[in-house]
Amino acid sequence: MQIVITAGSELPIYRQVMRQISDAIAGGRLRPGDKLTSQRQLAEQLVIAPLTVKKAYDELEREGLIRTERGRGTFVTTMALELDPGEQRERLRDPARQLLSRAHLAGVSFDEVVSLLEEERAELDCERQRRTETPNDGSGGTDS
Amino acid sequence: MTIVDFQDVHRAYTEGDDVLAGVSFSIASGQVVGLLGKNGAGKTTLLRIAMGMIDAQKGSARVFGLDPRTEPLDVKRRVGYVSEDQILPPQLRVDGVIALHKSLFPTWDDELARGMIERFSIPGRQKIKTLSKGQARQVALLCAVAHRPELLVLDEPAGGLDPAARRDFLETSIQLLNESGTTILFSSHYMTDVERLADRIVMLHDGRVLIDTELDELRESYSLALVQRQTDVSREGLLALDACLGVRDRADALHAVFELEPTRVEALLSGEMGLREVRCTRIALEEMFIELAGGQS
Repeated sequence: MQIVITAGSELPIYRQVMRQISDAIAGGRLRPGDKLTSQRQLAEQLVIAPLTVKKAYDELEREGLIRTERGRGTFVTTMALELDPGEQRERLRDPARQLLSRAHLAGVSFDEVVSLLEEERAELDCERQRRTETPNDGSGGTDS
Repeated sequence: MTIVDFQDVHRAYTEGDDVLAGVSFSIASGQVVGLLGKNGAGKTTLLRIAMGMIDAQKGSARVFGLDPRTEPLDVKRRVGYVSEDQILPPQLRVDGVIALHKSLFPTWDDELARGMIERFSIPGRQKIKTLSKGQARQVALLCAVAHRPELLVLDEPAGGLDPAARRDFLETSIQLLNESGTTILFSSHYMTDVERLADRIVMLHDGRVLIDTELDELRESYSLALVQRQTDVSREGLLALDACLGVRDRADALHAVFELEPTRVEALLSGEMGLREVRCTRIALEEMFIELAGGQS
């Protein structure tokens, strides 16, 4: 999978890496069992510090989305999409709050935020649909 | 393990005018530290003290626990150094300069050197003086890293290079980090390079350490508050707040950098202090630099 990072953006680089991997899992571009690019390779590919990649992978592992098997590599977990719902819900509290305060600052109403969410959901559903129609080629997440 | 240790380092070039006025911080093995500060903040002076090229007039600098002034060879064998104004012998051929460095360093890695010569297409037979600025810097980098140093000291290594040459430089540094876990201390004015390479930043200002923090911490726990001019707030009033690091006077507003998350700064300024028209945001490294370098006394 392709990750694009922007230095100088508001989001720290490790968060950009995390977000893109979790988006890929949510959108079905990465599936349970898929192998991720190794930390070393990803650092060289993106030209970012190895520690930054490690931090992103560690955080994703803590969230249960990926798992590193010594000597084999890092894989998307099968439980990536089925973690404890209560805990998952709590994890969304922070981004939800951020979204709402940003909307507030930008003068975007709550109803508009909801319709924005609906639009994005439709988009994601579409993406997932396409993915299930074209079977996974088995090469894992490293077709860069 | 501590690789570099600065304790209360002082240095003045003219008496009474301290470039460094008590700088203390240390670097653990494997850390990548970006040294920031505006021109004249003392970055080069500090790096030269670490390299044993000049003395600290007060305080101490230790590299691998050694004094670089009294044990320069033991230190230099384990360090790689590149600076913007480094001068390689102009009359020597490139392969001559490389051979010279190889003879000085017992741990020289021929394979690494050959790899870099190929990757950068370094012209071995040419004289140094015929090289472009970018090529000369690549030779300097090769000479600095081919002995696989435990510590790399880079003083504005990408200064004057085009973006492609800068990227080559970064890629080489990242490969070294991957392969050898090299400790790096570098100064740079390119904030995007700093964001890619550093995991910690130290910002010098007025001869002292103004900020010393993990980069991600800086990005997530610091904020910029834009406070519209009004009668009940002054630059001094904001600076008096504990978490306020610097205030810059702009035509329309005061720009204040806080060591607090935006929501908490907002609560502090609009809530507790009752200020109107306050906007708080996270801050990118480049903005942070401009606000702090421009906003100090």
